Amino acid sequence: MKKFVTATTLILSALCSMASLAAEGDVGVAAAMDDRYCTTCHGAEGIGNIAIEAPRLAGMEAWYLKRQLENFRAGIRGTHGEDIQGIAMRPMAAKLSDESIADIVDWVGDWEYVAAEATVEGNVRQGRTAFQACAACHGANAQGNEALGAPALAGQNDWYLLTQLRNFRAGFRGSHQEDTFGSQMVTMSKTLTDDQAVINVVSYINTL
Amino acid sequence: MTNSVSRREFLNLLGAYGGTSAVLQAGAALGFMPSSSQAAEIALQANSGKKVAILGTGISALTTAWELTKAGYDCTLLEASHRPGGRMFTVRSGTVIDEIGNYQRCEWDNDPHLYFNAGAARIPSIHSNVLKYCKELEVELQVFVNESKTAWVQDDAMNGGKPVRNTDYSSSMQGFISEMLSKALGDSQLDSSLTESESETLLGMLRRFGDLNEDMLYKGSTRAGYGSGGFLDHGTKKDVVALRDLLKARNGGSVMVTTQEGTGSGPLLMQPVGGMDRIIYAFANRLGDRIKFRAPVTEVMVKDDGVEVAYEQNGVTEVLKADYCFNCIPSHLMSGIPNNFPDDYSEALNYIRRGRAYKAAFQAKERFWEKENIYGGITWVNAPIQQIWYPPHNIHGKKGVVLAAYNFGGANYTEMSQQDRIEDLLKHGEKVHPNYREMAQKPMTIAWHRMNHMLGCAPRWARDRGGWSDKEEQMYETLRQPVNGRHYLIGDQSTQHSAWMESAIQSAHYALADLDQRVRSEPV
Ligand SMILES: Cc1cc2nc3c(=O)[nH]c(=O)nc-3n(C[C@H](O)[C@H](O)[C@H](O)COP(=O)(O)OP(=O)(O)OC[C@H]3O[C@@H](n4cnc5c(N)ncnc54)[C@H](O)[C@@H]3O)c2cc1C
Repeated sequence: MKKFVTATTLILSALCSMASLAAEGDVGVAAAMDDRYCTTCHGAEGIGNIAIEAPRLAGMEAWYLKRQLENFRAGIRGTHGEDIQGIAMRPMAAKLSDESIADIVDWVGDWEYVAAEATVEGNVRQGRTAFQACAACHGANAQGNEALGAPALAGQNDWYLLTQLRNFRAGFRGSHQEDTFGSQMVTMSKTLTDDQAVINVVSYINTL
Repeated sequence: MTNSVSRREFLNLLGAYGGTSAVLQAGAALGFMPSSSQAAEIALQANSGKKVAILGTGISALTTAWELTKAGYDCTLLEASHRPGGRMFTVRSGTVIDEIGNYQRCEWDNDPHLYFNAGAARIPSIHSNVLKYCKELEVELQVFVNESKTAWVQDDAMNGGKPVRNTDYSSSMQGFISEMLSKALGDSQLDSSLTESESETLLGMLRRFGDLNEDMLYKGSTRAGYGSGGFLDHGTKKDVVALRDLLKARNGGSVMVTTQEGTGSGPLLMQPVGGMDRIIYAFANRLGDRIKFRAPVTEVMVKDDGVEVAYEQNGVTEVLKADYCFNCIPSHLMSGIPNNFPDDYSEALNYIRRGRAYKAAFQAKERFWEKENIYGGITWVNAPIQQIWYPPHNIHGKKGVVLAAYNFGGANYTEMSQQDRIEDLLKHGEKVHPNYREMAQKPMTIAWHRMNHMLGCAPRWARDRGGWSDKEEQMYETLRQPVNGRHYLIGDQSTQHSAWMESAIQSAHYALADLDQRVRSEPV
């Protein structure tokens, strides 16, 4: 919890300089000294925020989060011209150091897993059939499988899953030649034959 | 051309406009001003110690806190950022721009004249409530020059890309418009619905408006300055820029409308001496340690008898219990904060979209614009940077801060790296001022879409450019009603004219009036 020490010192200095607030410059609280910015977009304790289209981070596996931050940083993700949400995320990650990424992953790990609210409605029965292809990697309960590099899907914001599946199908995500896992998803997402199938499979994941 | 107005149509139009004179006479409205011209009288009933939680420290929140504190309420303000003021933000030596992924620290000279209003910058004379607080809190104001006829207009397609003076553009454009109109009027006089004396008046006005010659033709104007002479020697007129050439500038609309007072821009505007955040700190100083910084709100629960607000401070979650809550956290951030608002309220809250805006500025080594006879105002560039502003204060001082880009739509700056943004502003600016690159020191940029704890600029309500739908009006009314009589949404997001400080302040006054009424009607 190294962050808190810094924060306390900052607050103290804030109080000291309170009296002369108007004199020069900003209030006496120094600006963020770390890269813990995630909650502004991803919601309090990383619950996700549909208005920003920023998915839930609470409960996301450390290894998956790390890989995605690294991919964003390297431009492996978030550089395709049609990946609107990815493009928005990329600049946030572009300057992160390895230490920052480790710190963020630690921090996110503190947040409690809260399953996201369901907003997508499709044909769950058909979705279940389609999900068999996903289950091989992501697990029968969409609980994820680190060994295969497949993250948990259960509990994630369904609107986010929808966007990502659509992006994989269209090649907006996963087309970068160094995106090993992403390119597998491009292939696998093709088993979903149309957009309705995407909606159905997400609806089924909502039941898990 | 299918779009051109036929002579017949022109006559009909003229007839229609002739008819409007009746409206002016009947309403005798000429003395009226828009609704905001009267500052509100706030007379809250004195109160001993009801607790109020105020979320965010935008101008609406500070107004609320200030008025409630004066009336004896016990206010606590929770601010996620390290600084107060939200979109009223001034950058000067030492300021941090906390843009996510683009943290910048300003290293300009430490000089009170060298600042950049990165958010709100201009105060119109009809924004009476902003002005009222400036007066009450002793914030010194000065005139802001919004339009200068010596500033430039630049479009790659016009004049071989070389800039022309605003006055060359606007005088000629006025001339041509007047000439065309007077021709049409002259031709149609006989069948027009205007009386002879009305026509005469109109023609007289057009002649002056366009500086036409006796034959009602535009042959250049000394308004554009002289080609040579003008003081010891007779002045000679400059050559006329052909209408066809003027029409190559695609940003002419902006050039011609800078001086509209009604909606807030005008030739005469104001700014606080030293930066817009002087207003913020005037409030913040008086509120003192009622404000908690770096205290992001993480949950808002409205109860029967009050509101419980969770926030984080020093890594610990605290809960603030209050009788009432006033909230200016941007709606698009509230949707990521757990709450128990009713469904229709949440739906309305989530409906509002976040607008984009981008600004950039640099410290100029010298006041190079003054050597070009520019002492304020705006240069219009037909490129994403759109505008260049020159500081109207500290004339003939050593340095100055130039606003090097202002795109109220944001263009694609949000995703650009700092390096690319800087190259972009230099590249376009040097088309106007050849020594621009050499003059520019330490550029600072701000993409509001990426600003920590804001992630946006003007809230956008209406989806349709044509205006607000009934559904939108209805959602707006829903948000104006306090949840359970306890939770008030404030800020320019809860007004119908966003992106103005005046609107944000009026939203606070509206909520305060509601609260006051409730408190007064409580059984003693
Ligand atoms: C580029 C630009 C130019 C502008 N130009 C002008 C102008 O010339 N004239 C004019 O009158 N107006 C102008 N405006 C508009 C004006 O700045 C705004 O209308 C006004 O400042 C909005 O105030 P507000 O009260 O709505 O709060 P905001 O300023 O939106 O403040 C919101 C506050 O909420 C805080 N917050 C966010 N999340 C949390 C959380 N979880 N917990 C606690 N706090 C949180 C933020 O840090 C911030 O302090 C401009 C705005 C911009 C961006």
